[in-house]
Amino acid sequence: MNNSILVTRPKYDDGTEYLSAYALEVIKKAQEKFSVKDFEGKEAIKENVEKYLKNKNPKLLFLNGHGNESEIFGHKDKIIFSLTNINLLKDKITYARACFSANFLGHEAVKNNSGCFIGYIYPFSFWMDEERSATPLKDKVAGMFLNPSNEVVFSLLKGESARKADEKSKKMMIENMREILAMERKNEPGATGMLQILWDNYEGQIVLGNEDASL
Amino acid sequence: MEKDEEISEDIKELVIARLGIMPSNYKLSIGTEGTFTKKELIEHVIANDKTGRQIAKMQLHFIKALTTGKFIDTLNKNE
Repeated sequence: MNNSILVTRPKYDDGTEYLSAYALEVIKKAQEKFSVKDFEGKEAIKENVEKYLKNKNPKLLFLNGHGNESEIFGHKDKIIFSLTNINLLKDKITYARACFSANFLGHEAVKNNSGCFIGYIYPFSFWMDEERSATPLKDKVAGMFLNPSNEVVFSLLKGESARKADEKSKKMMIENMREILAMERKNEPGATGMLQILWDNYEGQIVLGNEDASL
Repeated sequence: MEKDEEISEDIKELVIARLGIMPSNYKLSIGTEGTFTKKELIEHVIANDKTGRQIAKMQLHFIKALTTGKFIDTLNKNE
């Protein structure tokens, strides 16, 4: 196994456009130290991902997109991972920024191996400001949700354990919740709704398998 | 309502009231369900469909965390 990184970044709707934009920030940082394979847009399909996994055996996978309890999707909701190929995640560190992925698929990914799976037991959700949708990274509303999730991978890139990565991500979520509470005290509209969704991401993010896994 | 059950009228009113105060330029992305404006979210809750029930569940998770003290405990222990 080598320390290369595989990233999937489908982008075909508002949600995946935002995930893709924020994932690119992680890729830029990762490229300073690691070899990164970025499957973007229509390249984010099962065939490409499987081929790279078999040939390059990356240690870390950062999967962005939609999902459910038993599948993680790529371009236009085509399945990239399901029970039929979940064995490819054996002994790897996987962070799936995808809804419900830690409910069932994540457990199967780390069964009887030293790998780790960080994912969500609830939907991964976020508010966005429509007036900023052309420039997601300038959308401060979406940043409240997406920057803490980026922190998972930033931490892993520093060689920190999966447990630590989860803790740092959640610490940032809590800092953002405090910021939103301060907004609420100033009667800024939307604060309560933002808090509810950020709390759901906080409670829903879990680490499965080997929490000591690191790059 | 952890299971995919109908939203009661009381909860529906509460969820709609909370959505109603969101700014009109905000949209909520809920994974495969899609991305929705405030108006669309409220329509889903009224329709009591899968998306509407998901929105209600998310709000109820937070209310539960508030009423059990879990939310405040989480904020306090991380100071």
